[in-house]
Amino acid sequence: MKLRIAAVLTAVFVLPLLVRPAIATEIWIFAIFGLGANLLIGYTGLLSFGQATFFGSAAYVAGYVLKYYGLSVFAALGIGIGVGAVSAAAVGYLCVQRSGIYFIMLTFALNQLFYFVAYQWTSVTGGEDGMPGIPRPVIAGLDFKSPLLYYAFVSALFLASLWAMQRLVGSPLGKILQAIRENELRAAAVGYDVARFKLLAFVIAGAFSGLAGVLYAMLFGIVPLEAISFVFSGNVVFATLIGGSGSLYGPVIGAVVFIWLSESVSVLWERWPLLLGVAFVIVVLFLRGGVVEAWSRFIAWRMRWRSSKRAA
Amino acid sequence: MLYALMGLGLALIAGILNIPNFAHGALFAVGAYLTVTAIGAFGNFWLALALAPVGVALLGLLIEYLGIRRLYAAGHDYQLLFTFGLSLILAEAIILVWGPVGISQLPPPVLRGSVDLGFTIYPKYRLFVMSAAGLLVVGTWLFLEKTRYGAIMRAGIENREMVSLLGIDIHRLFTVAFALGAYLAGIAGALTAPIRGLSPGMGVDMLGIAFVVVALGGMGNILGAIAAGLLIGVAQAVVAAYWTEASVAVIYLVMAAVLVFRPQGLFGTR
Amino acid sequence: MALLETRGLSKSFGALAAVDNVSLAVQPGTLHSIIGPNGAGKTTFFNLLTGTFAPTAGDIFFDQKRITGTPAHRVAHLGIARSFQRTNVFPALSLLDNVWVAAFARRPSWSGLLWRRAERYPELVERARQALADVGLAEKSHHLARAISHGEQRQLELAIALAASPRVLLLDEPAAGLSPEESRRMVALVRTLKGRYTIVLIEHKMDIIMSVSDRISVMHFGRLIAEGSPSEIQRNPEVRRAYLGGVAA
Repeated sequence: MKLRIAAVLTAVFVLPLLVRPAIATEIWIFAIFGLGANLLIGYTGLLSFGQATFFGSAAYVAGYVLKYYGLSVFAALGIGIGVGAVSAAAVGYLCVQRSGIYFIMLTFALNQLFYFVAYQWTSVTGGEDGMPGIPRPVIAGLDFKSPLLYYAFVSALFLASLWAMQRLVGSPLGKILQAIRENELRAAAVGYDVARFKLLAFVIAGAFSGLAGVLYAMLFGIVPLEAISFVFSGNVVFATLIGGSGSLYGPVIGAVVFIWLSESVSVLWERWPLLLGVAFVIVVLFLRGGVVEAWSRFIAWRMRWRSSKRAA
Repeated sequence: MLYALMGLGLALIAGILNIPNFAHGALFAVGAYLTVTAIGAFGNFWLALALAPVGVALLGLLIEYLGIRRLYAAGHDYQLLFTFGLSLILAEAIILVWGPVGISQLPPPVLRGSVDLGFTIYPKYRLFVMSAAGLLVVGTWLFLEKTRYGAIMRAGIENREMVSLLGIDIHRLFTVAFALGAYLAGIAGALTAPIRGLSPGMGVDMLGIAFVVVALGGMGNILGAIAAGLLIGVAQAVVAAYWTEASVAVIYLVMAAVLVFRPQGLFGTR
Repeated sequence: MALLETRGLSKSFGALAAVDNVSLAVQPGTLHSIIGPNGAGKTTFFNLLTGTFAPTAGDIFFDQKRITGTPAHRVAHLGIARSFQRTNVFPALSLLDNVWVAAFARRPSWSGLLWRRAERYPELVERARQALADVGLAEKSHHLARAISHGEQRQLELAIALAASPRVLLLDEPAAGLSPEESRRMVALVRTLKGRYTIVLIEHKMDIIMSVSDRISVMHFGRLIAEGSPSEIQRNPEVRRAYLGGVAA
């Protein structure tokens, strides 16, 4: 446990030395997004294919108030989290009544609905061109236009999010959501209003997504239409599963892998999503626990190898 | 009518395999692209129309056999995730093979031009597509209703365990269902090519609409999917006439509204 | 005064009357068994009691209060716990967590729901351990539920119900799928629970029924065809006929 915390802290400090601060920032933003998504996907077993709905909505709304009303950063963050939570509550309310295929298709369809509304409402969202001109306000005299400073800000928020999620999954709620994932019928029989808990999971995931959305808007200074698209929802699913949906750190690893590769490989080969798809399919077929599972399998293999060497 | 075709294929797969086939849109796109290539290779539209969807069906067979079947033990979630990953792979593969730029394709000479229907002038090719798609839908429906294997398929939608208890090879059923669904998607794509032209994104757009059709029709409800497909197609045409830009958003709005007030879809029973 | 009582309870699925006008009273502290051939409606009856299905007619009373129509997730909070015929545990969770989750649900206050660690609820941990100990699974508390044997899972099934500190235990074929040796242990277990809880038991194995029951109700085609003490039921000709002259082993 301590080791993992140390690893994450090291990563946070080391990353901007390895890649441009902007990319490093994007990684932690995506990690926050992934943490929220994994609460639904990994812990509650709800395959939500519409996470970008909350991410994008928060980005647009917070971006809008930042741009036209010049609010402080913290107000913007609050709005982002709030919008993420509220949109998730609305979507979640509609979706948790259904289960199985229906649920999945509904998350997808609602995502598309939001997407096309954003696409059409060009006066507010800018449609295909996105919403540019989002400022990074100042906090206590610290000018966040500096990429490194903003990186520090974002990574602090990421660490806070990671801590919050860790408390959450270790809490009774974490166990209840897992129980719901394992056996909905028994969870209800034991006394839990399953629909309400699923909704709660949605809202929390939405809050995390919303936070990520605002930070994203401030990072790039623009809210692109893609941020609310199904493709973006798909990306967080890819990243989370590749990292490992069964663990807390899986989505974090997934974010690192996904963003890093997408930024670096895409320069070399435009068709890099093909590799992403292939990697994903490999994970689904052979390595369902993702990188986290691969790592623990590797560790176990190495211990066996070492003990057999010792025995020899 | 094309929507009905897509909805039918998706509903079939959803009903029998119990997964939303995220690759359905990509299969549609592959059908379109294969057709264009086939037309180029054979110089004959009709031959291409006949063969390309078969190619897609074979692809569907491969997908089911190599991927979905392997994940039977892992559960539906992973089967569906497999189709999801596949949709990305196929979409990228299309760009790899055919390039990122859109392609246009003309209808065969005999179907060019328009026909005077009395109250409106309508493109000949679109009429052809409507009739062809209509024939396919009716044909598939007849297959499901009147033939023995069709009955087995319908039973599989209703109650999977029962079917396997009756001694029917459930895995074979899955493969056939998926291949059939893929065929329907492929031929829908083949027919579409000369209408709106091709672009790599056509799969995702169609996937969304197909999902709406199936959800509105009631999951696994074949007749419902057909009816919903027709409904959506008509509704979209009507809306497009008055408020072009919103025509797509409206589809999703209608879906959300129906699912809120009538969760089992317009025709579903659950 | 009956602790759990039904009056004219019925459930029809279309034309099929799965449960037909069943009136039954369970006295506190007793073990009341329900037997009957397959398809007699016993599990459906349980499903009605636990709110999984809504009855088409009739009422359910718990502690003299009408509870008909209580949704499934509220029934546990009344003090009624159930074990299932098909094992229904939480496979990826540890045995301790399986039981802890059931215990938490019944905690009067859910404070700390979002942030307190499980170990910081000592009463719940204790109750969970006790439930596991009661069924004989104490040493395996950290094993995952999917890693234990089927027989042990049936024990866990029971422990989850016990963890809710219920007043009434509805046990649906706890010995289902168990070997003779495991069955014997299950019977011994049920005997230790007798008196501490009010128990309603569905079972097929006659020897179990006869040896533990205070009272037996017999169902056939959804109806109650007989009720009485074990010896009365054994002598009852209608019951004999329902079982076609033999006893289900």
